Amino acid sequence: MSTQEPPTSGESRTALNEDWAATIVGLVLLVLVITGVIPTGLVP
Amino acid sequence: MSTEQSTRAESRTPAAWHWPVAGVLVVLLLGAATRLLDKNVAAWFAGSGLAKAIEFPVYAIILGLLGNAVLTAAGVRDRLSGGFRTEFFIKTGLVLLGASINLKLIVTAAGPAIVQAIVLISTVFLFTWWLGGKLGLDDRLRALLSAAVSICGVSAAIAAAGAVQARREQLAYSASLVIAFALPSIFILPALASALGLSPEVAGAWIGGNIDTTAAVTAAGTLVGENALAIATIVKVTQNALIGVVVVALTAWFAFRVERTAGSPRPSVAELWRRFPKFVLGFVAASVIATWWLTTVPAAEGKAVIGVANDLRTWFLILAFVSIGLEFRVASLKDAGWRPVGVFAAATVVNVVVALVLAALLFSGFSAG
Repeated sequence: MSTQEPPTSGESRTALNEDWAATIVGLVLLVLVITGVIPTGLVP
Repeated sequence: MSTEQSTRAESRTPAAWHWPVAGVLVVLLLGAATRLLDKNVAAWFAGSGLAKAIEFPVYAIILGLLGNAVLTAAGVRDRLSGGFRTEFFIKTGLVLLGASINLKLIVTAAGPAIVQAIVLISTVFLFTWWLGGKLGLDDRLRALLSAAVSICGVSAAIAAAGAVQARREQLAYSASLVIAFALPSIFILPALASALGLSPEVAGAWIGGNIDTTAAVTAAGTLVGENALAIATIVKVTQNALIGVVVVALTAWFAFRVERTAGSPRPSVAELWRRFPKFVLGFVAASVIATWWLTTVPAAEGKAVIGVANDLRTWFLILAFVSIGLEFRVASLKDAGWRPVGVFAAATVVNVVVALVLAALLFSGFSAG
């Protein structure tokens, strides 16, 4: 069996960063919606 | 494409970030087309029950698969794939979904969801591990397949791959199996739930406990309805939150029993936190914020504003489903032979049955409305 490179920690780091990015983007959008910055009717 | 050709192509590329940005644009374009179809097909085919019954996950996945075929034929799909951020889109969509779920529902559903997750993950993980051993699979591949089928698909496989130092092709293979099995289940499980006459809550718990990828759970839950989607998401998010526990257990098992290498990282609370899917916190936070905010405004205004958050959620879910279609590949499935496919298929059947029994036991009589 050939020894190949195991998955780098970079992959899991990307996945973890995506977790935080999704949390921040989602919550920021929610705050913009309830403060009226994104008004009703704007989102197609 | 030969190495020479690809080198030539790369030398023409001004900067590496252009391709992922172009990939995101492809996803947005297909997402806009999905939204257009979702809003208009029922009107275009007025009177057709079928057109009304088809919801956005179906259009998104089909357009994604078509885009996949076109981009693959044009030889640019792999370079654009950096923009197909399924995980980011789905997690942002789920954080926004938290805004439409009352905190009380999360609190009351958490109990049965945790019981279901622990029993289901243990049963399916141990069955897959045992069957993989019987069929002589490599220990690392056994661990990846067991984690993928019992917990939550690709992210569990990625986390488990780190824990057991699996090879890249084993990870690619497990991830492909997860997606190959998840795609049909998006359509089969809602149809079965309807045929079996399950309540939306039981159907949601079944879908959330059974389908491997969070994106596919959301797609199938959406097809059943809003209450089913809420319960499916809570059950799935509970399973996601248990990834950390499984990964720490796997790290310990491989470090102390399978490999016994000196210097293997010891499982710790820090590792548990590192593997914890942080978007779960965003999902709960969105529910807390929206539940509180709704007590401060008139009901009609609250409903209209949360409707905007729901529209944004739909957009992110559409982008995620389009990305699933764009990312799907069969090539890596062909290499490893029938045994891992057999193990995964058998484990999926066990998962379907055990999840149905648990969902019926724990969620019948439960109301998400």
